[in-house]
Amino acid sequence: MNSRLAKVLHVNLAEKESRIDERPELFNAYLGGAGVASKLLEEECPPRIDPFSPEAPAIFTVGPFTGLLPSMVKTVAMFKSPLTGNLGESHCGGHFATALRFAGFGALVVKGAADLPSLLVIEDSDVRVEAASSLWGLSPLQVEKSLRSSNQEGIESVASIGVAGENGVYYSGLITDRFHHFGRLGLGAVLGAKKLKAIRIRGTGDVHLERPTEFKEFYEEIHKLAVQTEEMRKYHDLGTPINVMMLNEMGALPTKNFTQSRFEKAEGISGERFLETLLERKISCPGCPVGCIHLGGLRTGFSPEHELGRKEAFEELDLVPYNYEPIFALGSNLEVADAASVLRLIGLCERLGIDAILTGSVLAWLTEAVQKGLIPRQDLGDLEPRWGDAASYSKIVENIALTRNQFYRRLAQGTMAAAEKYGGKDFAVSIGKNSPAGYATGYGFVVGTLVGARHSHLSNTGYSIDQKAVKSNLSLEQMVEKIAEEEDWLYLYYSLVGCYFARGVYDEQTIVKALDLIGLPKSARELRDLGNEVFQRLYRFKVREGFNLTREVIPKRLTEIETPYGRLDPSRLREMVQQYMRLRERQGLRLRRDDEALTELLSPTAKA
Amino acid sequence: MRFHIEVEHPERCIGCYSCVYACSRHLYNTVDPMRVAVFVRVNKSLENPFNVIACRFCTQPECVFACPQGALEALPEGGISLTPSKCAGCKNYDCIEACKLGALALDRGANVPVICDRCGDCAKFCPHDVFRYEEMKS
Repeated sequence: MNSRLAKVLHVNLAEKESRIDERPELFNAYLGGAGVASKLLEEECPPRIDPFSPEAPAIFTVGPFTGLLPSMVKTVAMFKSPLTGNLGESHCGGHFATALRFAGFGALVVKGAADLPSLLVIEDSDVRVEAASSLWGLSPLQVEKSLRSSNQEGIESVASIGVAGENGVYYSGLITDRFHHFGRLGLGAVLGAKKLKAIRIRGTGDVHLERPTEFKEFYEEIHKLAVQTEEMRKYHDLGTPINVMMLNEMGALPTKNFTQSRFEKAEGISGERFLETLLERKISCPGCPVGCIHLGGLRTGFSPEHELGRKEAFEELDLVPYNYEPIFALGSNLEVADAASVLRLIGLCERLGIDAILTGSVLAWLTEAVQKGLIPRQDLGDLEPRWGDAASYSKIVENIALTRNQFYRRLAQGTMAAAEKYGGKDFAVSIGKNSPAGYATGYGFVVGTLVGARHSHLSNTGYSIDQKAVKSNLSLEQMVEKIAEEEDWLYLYYSLVGCYFARGVYDEQTIVKALDLIGLPKSARELRDLGNEVFQRLYRFKVREGFNLTREVIPKRLTEIETPYGRLDPSRLREMVQQYMRLRERQGLRLRRDDEALTELLSPTAKA
Repeated sequence: MRFHIEVEHPERCIGCYSCVYACSRHLYNTVDPMRVAVFVRVNKSLENPFNVIACRFCTQPECVFACPQGALEALPEGGISLTPSKCAGCKNYDCIEACKLGALALDRGANVPVICDRCGDCAKFCPHDVFRYEEMKS
């Protein structure tokens, strides 16, 4: 097989047809991943389209190093997000990227809607849309077990939505290979609207090395960095849950709907506690030696009549992937204080195919809204969310995923949509209609999440810039510059497509060398420019779809919580965003539809 | 350098495929999980432990007995060697079917079985100590 990416697979679910476009120029110019996806989004997504319209595309891309280099394992998805009504971008690990590439494709574009529940099968160049009503309503785990073939040829990936996606929950995801997620922005619902329950990809091709001797030496260097450096070891050892205690000590662990930045019971949900009491296994994505996916075990007993004998012999073991974000979202932010209960809530989100961070955010807002009397009794039924009460939270999560009634349908649209109907916007912790990750680290986090194209902490590492700024006395101005610089660079890195965790392994010179080795030479300058170009293209899409940074609101709650900087000063936040806008405008980017002043950035009460 | 290699702890496998990729880089200057002498197999769901398979260097290998062309030969130190000129043309692949472990794959390009040359790269690139390996004396 050619070692360069070139093929775009287009699938139309309504017509049950597919075609393959040869686009070598697209991949030569934009490499793959976010770069190619941003271009395909521009080509394929009609302006102001309803995210649930058949014409709304779901785009998946891999990168030039997929299957070739350590930790280059992710797939980028782009789509129109029902949650934000704007850019949907989500990255996922697992076998998906490798399988798609070994099947011969650099990108997959899915359009149209099937009339019946369907399965998309890609077996190298054999592509079929098959009826799959028997899978509808099943959990992603059940789907994986049903679809994974016993034939072990090549690399196979099984991805599916859960009932949350089927029911159009705005923050439902696509779960791939049991433990990995296209999360956050509602790709599950987009596919659910298309009646696409699952995708099975099997790739049996190869990727040829153009300069094998040099490449092998280079690979070995990268492999060593990935498995031996301290920075990477933490992802394997405790994993990201190491953050629970670290952030708690720093006073940056969001707790009880971001009212506190320390959780007095943090030890009960610490990475150490998970490791000692729940960790069963660790796994990797194919092509990454790090092994960062931590799987906790939930044991459920069989029915009593089967329970004679040692208890453990009659328990089912359910493996649930855990990492820091869901632990924050369903743990400290809800004051759920024991690791097993948090893992059970994460496991529930897994089965339903609903995003854990958004779910936690909605539950935290709801708990406060109920306590403040904003929610009518008849809407809640007999459920009463209370801080730390995992059992009632579980029932509410199920009701949301199943969109049981109008009330839960509203909750299924996200924290801000719920607050718009019921009130309580000041404590609806939502930025750009996405719910932020778990870092009360300061200005960098809030501004980074707000200005980031997909409003994620992974957009531009604002939370990490905060932590460095405290140590090295970065000015707010320097932080803004760093945020812009990081986002540009990450868009280059996400075009390769590298895993966020391994970003430290791949510095500029390493990437220059790697591209040269596969015959795609680019200078460091060209790479930076490319990252900026991808960012700009995505922002133009955002503005086209109605995003207006001047009209975004930072919820008051985020200026009330104590951070390592103390409480964040609204006027300084506003200054940072203004400075960011000037910086981007100097680069030629139009960030707003008209010449509005930045007047509505902060909620009225926080402006004073 | 040649190594004795043994899949000693398959239960430790994290499914990173570093061994598989290393093997195909070494043997064919490519990355091809089909054309290798070491395999990471998924057992129905990623929830189940991976199975790692590699040639066990049998001294009385069934793959050799199965070959009607006499293209495979058992080596005194264990393992097999291939005479490609005798093998080419066979479309039965009896050798591949014969290995009960499933440790023999077909090189689709040359239409011959993939033979482990004991380079040890699979073990060298494994980050989780699945393999035991030591250099062979001669």
